[in-house]
Amino acid sequence: MKEIKLVGLDQSVFFTKLESGLEIYFIPYENKSNYAMHYITKFGSRNMEFKPIDEKKFIKVPAGIAHFLEHKMFEQEDGEDPFSFAAKTGTSSNATTSFNTTRYYFEGNMGFEENLNYLLDFVHTPYFTDENVEKEKGIITEEIKQYDDEIDWFLDEEIRKAIFHKDPVRFDIAGTEDSISEITKELLYQTYNTYYQPSNMILMISGSFDKERAMNIITTNESLKNATTNKPIEEKKEKEPEEVQAKTKKLFFNVANKKVAYVVKIPLKGVKDPYRLNLYLGLFNSIKFGLSSTFREQMKQKKLITSFYTEREIYGEYLLLSYIASSDRPEEFVAEVKKELTTLDIEESEIERLKKVWISSEVVMVDNISLTLDNILYDVITYGNIIPNKTEIYRSLNVVELKKMISKINFSNASFITVCPKK
Amino acid sequence: MKDKTIDMGSYLLHLIPTKRFKTITIRVCLRDTIVKEEITLRNFLASFLTYATDTYRTKRELVLHCQDLYALNISTKTYRAGKFNMMNFFMSTLNEKYTEEGMLEKSIELFADVIFHPNFNDLDKFKEAYDFLKQSTENALKGLKENPSLYSVTRMLETMGPNMPYSYREQGYLEDLNNVNLDTLKQYYQKMMIGSLVDIYVIGDFEEEAIVSLLKKYMEFDTFKRPKDSQMIYHSKLPQRTKTVIEKINGNQSKLSIGCKIGELTEFERNYVLTLYNMILGGSSESKFFQIIREKHSLAYYVYSSVTKLDHIMIIRAGITKENFNKTIKLIKKLMKEMEQGKFTEENIEFAKQNYLSLLKEIEDNENAIIETYLAKDLLNLGNIEERKEEIKKVTKEDIINVSKKVKMDTIYLLEGDKENEGD
Repeated sequence: MKEIKLVGLDQSVFFTKLESGLEIYFIPYENKSNYAMHYITKFGSRNMEFKPIDEKKFIKVPAGIAHFLEHKMFEQEDGEDPFSFAAKTGTSSNATTSFNTTRYYFEGNMGFEENLNYLLDFVHTPYFTDENVEKEKGIITEEIKQYDDEIDWFLDEEIRKAIFHKDPVRFDIAGTEDSISEITKELLYQTYNTYYQPSNMILMISGSFDKERAMNIITTNESLKNATTNKPIEEKKEKEPEEVQAKTKKLFFNVANKKVAYVVKIPLKGVKDPYRLNLYLGLFNSIKFGLSSTFREQMKQKKLITSFYTEREIYGEYLLLSYIASSDRPEEFVAEVKKELTTLDIEESEIERLKKVWISSEVVMVDNISLTLDNILYDVITYGNIIPNKTEIYRSLNVVELKKMISKINFSNASFITVCPKK
Repeated sequence: MKDKTIDMGSYLLHLIPTKRFKTITIRVCLRDTIVKEEITLRNFLASFLTYATDTYRTKRELVLHCQDLYALNISTKTYRAGKFNMMNFFMSTLNEKYTEEGMLEKSIELFADVIFHPNFNDLDKFKEAYDFLKQSTENALKGLKENPSLYSVTRMLETMGPNMPYSYREQGYLEDLNNVNLDTLKQYYQKMMIGSLVDIYVIGDFEEEAIVSLLKKYMEFDTFKRPKDSQMIYHSKLPQRTKTVIEKINGNQSKLSIGCKIGELTEFERNYVLTLYNMILGGSSESKFFQIIREKHSLAYYVYSSVTKLDHIMIIRAGITKENFNKTIKLIKKLMKEMEQGKFTEENIEFAKQNYLSLLKEIEDNENAIIETYLAKDLLNLGNIEERKEEIKKVTKEDIINVSKKVKMDTIYLLEGDKENEGD
């Protein structure tokens, strides 16, 4: 395995790619008691149109199928599900689906060997029947409903709908009651056989474990050996226009106070180093809008906000910058945000201070085995690679480059969304 | 190095040296008997103290200074534990190996500034902080209904024991917010600083002498010693019948909360048997609730139980559709009855024990969870991690059956979503 040192953090990551195409990342710790093993397929709610392997025609799958498949993988023919298996050694197990990935994980501190074997076994042993597919629809419908009443969830979804025309991130990861009603056993198998090939998957293990022993389990696991198809995945993606879908949107929800979001859509196509751009946007947001910003002080003095935060998130070829607040006077607040966005009055000293903050957060992060795994996975999925020298990159950031990069951004390509209390 | 407790006069200092973490974490815990009318005030005070200090008089100045100290993290958390109110101050700083020499002292100095030097003197700056915090507190309090699941539990507890501390709203009360002002804040702060039992916990890779002398220098507590009361809440009598309350809310899903009272327990039963009972009944993914109500009958997306030992209460929570209300209740009652009848296996118990042991190991990688074990020793006389590993093994099936007979359902509360079946 190749050792990759995380610079300045006293921690290494080991990487190798098996013949089957499976990518393996080990993050072994000396001073910890727990481990986290995550098995990931690069298949999420955004993958909605593809050619099933060994077939000729493209198919479109209903929204929510990745999440549905995740639920169904927990059903095993022998009746014992992964929760029960893991619980025998006090291990917690679960799975999550995002826009770009589905992952299955065990986190615990006992039974490493049998848990790793089991994880590989169950993810490579689908068992779908007409009955168990129908039954799942009830459970997932309840899950979808559960989030229907939550304002943050609602706003998040409405933001994506206002920003994107075509990209399936418009849809909720779990789909809708209607879309999942179209899911069948056959569709699940077609999807599974395409996206759950080891060549489309990543195995990451972090924490307290022996890497030779882990490697030995992986290379001798029978389910993995049998699953070694390595066929290319052909996908269709509709072109997403650069403009936002809706410039303004006014919505009503069961909230006590008005909420407002101003969200900028930034295309990443043609950007040489999206990671670096994202860092500069992070610096920019912290300095201009963060807890230590004069903007925030002024907004409070003017009583324009009661809560306010910013977000940066990459969806495929776009980066979204969000400014979200509780405010009685949304128009006035957004006017202030827009004004601030186009004023580039940043000092080198402010950048220097934030570098300390970021370096600190890297050290804190690496002390947590799950967070470290999450971060490395995020970089691999988002930027296509692990970024081992983050502390060095932070140190190299400077005000000249910041101004150059930020000045190129069109902050007016944005959606302005207000959520008002229902009368 | 071994952990130790040092009596510093006005407080107890608990040192927990370990090389497991790259940070040093300090927790200052002040406790006092809880008074319902003071909850809003103490929450406000907690936010106020971390908003600004007498030295750094605006939020911005304070944040900038924290950033200069390599993102020094200072926070407060208030909560109720049994009959007591717990006011906690947390500080977490990187080991100097990753920053610069002198950072630990500077961090403790600022931490002490937050605790001991509130911004009561600059009236303009006070008002600025006050206005902002008042508005955000008001919004948060008004927003309780936006979290239907929490609202449902809150209302259930208020129905179960209207005057009992366990029914007090941890977030505080809108009607008490108007009583918060400079004078009441000052008074409450004084009362808290002299009338609380104080404990300080330090965990991380540090030199004992250095940390003791730094704390002596900066932690200027001057509390007077008071005898420790028990924090436990007992129920004078257990319910004969179950109350049911249904309230309608604008929403999709119905949130079910059930409160159970627990009779008198021995220390062993409370600390170990009850924990296993809860894990088998509804406290894990292997539990009866999860396996039968969710998995087998698809009646709920989530359903689980939890116990609060200091209150002698068990709470059951579920997200259901309203049509399934009666079915779900019937099933919950049946599964609780099964526990009394001993309808669970040795395998179930073994599962729960493994689960417990694994949770103990999980604690070892988390600074704050380790500190919690020291606190639990004090509150519940719960042993340290090694002692717990031994004690849990002793629990038998009969023990669990005995405890299950002391758990009585008191109040069923349903927050009924009105939007279901729309369009049917």
